[in-house]
Amino acid sequence: MTEFQASEPAGSEICRVLDELLRSPKSVAERTRAAGDLRPLFLAALGALLLGAGIFGATLATSRGGAQLLYSGVKLPFALLATLLLVVPAFHAISAGLGRPLGFSSMVALMLAAAGRGALVLIALSPVIWLCFDRGLGYHPGVLLASVCYALSGLAALEVVLRGIGFDLRGLVIVSVFGLVVFATGGQTAWMMRPFLGRPSAQHVPFLRHRESSFVDALAQSARSSLGIYPMERALKRASDRTPRSAGDSDESR
Amino acid sequence: MIDQPVLSFSAPARQTLGARLTSPAVEPVPAELMRLGTGLGLSALYGLALGARVGGAALLAHAGLATAGLALVGVLGLPPLFVLLALVNAPVSPQALFSAGARAVASTGFVLAGLAPSAALLAVTIESPDAAAFVTRAGLTLAGFIGLYQLVNSVRALLSHAPFGTRAKCLAFLGAFCVFAFILAARVWSVLPILKGAA
Repeated sequence: MTEFQASEPAGSEICRVLDELLRSPKSVAERTRAAGDLRPLFLAALGALLLGAGIFGATLATSRGGAQLLYSGVKLPFALLATLLLVVPAFHAISAGLGRPLGFSSMVALMLAAAGRGALVLIALSPVIWLCFDRGLGYHPGVLLASVCYALSGLAALEVVLRGIGFDLRGLVIVSVFGLVVFATGGQTAWMMRPFLGRPSAQHVPFLRHRESSFVDALAQSARSSLGIYPMERALKRASDRTPRSAGDSDESR
Repeated sequence: MIDQPVLSFSAPARQTLGARLTSPAVEPVPAELMRLGTGLGLSALYGLALGARVGGAALLAHAGLATAGLALVGVLGLPPLFVLLALVNAPVSPQALFSAGARAVASTGFVLAGLAPSAALLAVTIESPDAAAFVTRAGLTLAGFIGLYQLVNSVRALLSHAPFGTRAKCLAFLGAFCVFAFILAARVWSVLPILKGAA
């Protein structure tokens, strides 16, 4: 009874911060800039990040099922957390360099709060994802839908960051420049931790794919392909694929 | 009852490293030298991160070249800029320009150091030499622009009470300095092994 009473205030404080994260990004941003106790915010945001990304990762994997549920549930929070650790110094330096120096602990709290808010939005979007996969949504539309969900959660996170840095032209420039760093770093981290969905046709579920290419290369190749420009090897492979083969040599069997 | 130290996450009241390095205040020469040295030292972290792609001696080569690019811009660019500004009778003292230069170099170094963790991840995990070179250039360009932005801002603040004609000439010189700094830094950094396709 005594232990419960002792732990209750901390728990209720964390719940209050979670509520604040969703309802009032402005006051959360102000809290990160104030010199107060940031521990409840750290704990609440970190908990939201791990739980939200874990739930969303596992939901993404419902298209494949099995071990992929566990893998994605673990990998997505890890990818988000790793990205956060890598980009916070860049955010700190860019904002100081562009005339908005903030304390490093404030910066960490701001980023963690933003990521936590984004992860809470992912929790809200998880039922939609599950329902779509349950109704038979395919792999590629599923990837697109997941991208839309990431974008929505990113917008929710962006509001906290902008409130913390300042909602003016300078703040927008800082956040835009920082966004490029997050895009490259987060993209590569997620690329290394693939697959998150898992192809339904795959025989077995790997925890990680073999190292191949990179996020930047994949983007460049996709951009070229969208313009109808393909690398020479792909063109040659396509040409060789067009030659008559036996049915057993089809793409599906390889 | 034992009093134990408690880890505090609250923000310290003193100025942060970033704020100190980018502060517009003109400090005495030793303090400015310290700021300059800190900036150059921080820029070496970005070089180390890039060198992690190959490892070994490449770590030192990248660290040295990343710092050299910044140092050469300061050494070869700032004295001529001061001469030109003095020729048009701009109200800029050598100490004020040195302070502005130190602030710019420190800002660039600080941004490069901030980008170093991301750069290390990208340099080590990206397979294609072209993509690795692309992200390297992006980081150097971003940091360089922030440094030039700091320099231009500092000098513009010094010129706030100058006559319009003097201010216009000074801004033209500043523009020319920016172009020179960009070309010189790009020339030095182009020697970086990662930009030459080191895999």
